[in-house]
Amino acid sequence: MMRNCTTVQRSLGAWLDAELGEAERQEIREHLEKCPSCLAEKRRLERLQSALGEALRARASGIAFEPFWREVQRRISEREIPWHARFWDWVRSILYPQRLAWVVPVAMVFLVGAFSLREFFPGWLSGSQRTARTVVDSIDGHGLNVALFRESESRTTVIWLFEDHEEEDEASGSSTQGNPF
Amino acid sequence: MIPSDWELVQRWREGEVIAFQELVAKYHQKVFMVVLGILNHREDALEIAQETFFRAYKKINEFKGGSTFYTWIYRIAVNLSIDFQRRKRRNPIELRETSAEVIEGEGEMGSDPYRDLQDRELGKRLMEAINDLTPDHKAVIVLRAIEGLSYKDISRILGCSQGTVMSRLHYARKKLQEKLGPFL
Repeated sequence: MMRNCTTVQRSLGAWLDAELGEAERQEIREHLEKCPSCLAEKRRLERLQSALGEALRARASGIAFEPFWREVQRRISEREIPWHARFWDWVRSILYPQRLAWVVPVAMVFLVGAFSLREFFPGWLSGSQRTARTVVDSIDGHGLNVALFRESESRTTVIWLFEDHEEEDEASGSSTQGNPF
Repeated sequence: MIPSDWELVQRWREGEVIAFQELVAKYHQKVFMVVLGILNHREDALEIAQETFFRAYKKINEFKGGSTFYTWIYRIAVNLSIDFQRRKRRNPIELRETSAEVIEGEGEMGSDPYRDLQDRELGKRLMEAINDLTPDHKAVIVLRAIEGLSYKDISRILGCSQGTVMSRLHYARKKLQEKLGPFL
């Protein structure tokens, strides 16, 4: 597959770092032989890389070992790693990005499962832990309709009795009336 | 015969402080370079580099030998540097050195004064440009530039995938090229 300048320039850094496979390296090498613009980009990248190394090395020179070592020794003899630093090191060691990639979905499945438990085991949470619920039941007892309205938090039950006027209503077109007890 | 890092670690675990001292002597300059590349401040970098070896000393039992010693020590150094920089950003007093401080101590001129001047100017601007990168991008570019570490080693140090290393490097280089345009 022939590469265009955009894809070549995107891979040039990895090519210079020798991080590409042989086939890709060959493709880029062939492209560079024919493309002056990508060749110029490669030279700019090389210059950047060597300037970076030189600048950082030049700035870091002149660190004497003896005073450095004395300070490290002083810390070792006088200090302990603070608890919060140990805690964050521990968090970092168990929650690195690759692990998060499966920890997050597993945690989501676990949470969905936990919330769904109530659907499968209605009596799972009982007593004071039960959350406020409103229930409406309808019973037909001996031609008299009973509607029960229960609200668990305030422990209120409203019983609503009404006669079935459905047939009459259909004939007369009026609405059903009832009296709450 | 020069002992390997692993041999020195084993001796250090057995209580031989001189083995730890040898490891500090071997890596203090490199660790300092990495930290300085991320923080761009000599005093802070020295402090964090020393803290890195102190932490390593205290946590040597956590080093199982699954990775090389230098990946482990760089990992401590990079994490401390990134944490330090984030703390500083939340509480910004002073982080960057001035351009004059950056130039100071960069050595004498070589045989081509014009080229040296150009390089120093580029170096100065480069350090300023690096400062504008995020800590994660700085860490990637510094580890690659100083040590020439492989993407695999960098990914181990930073705890991310090799693909992430590659894309961070690409982004960071693009940003630096944009800022340094005429100097490259």
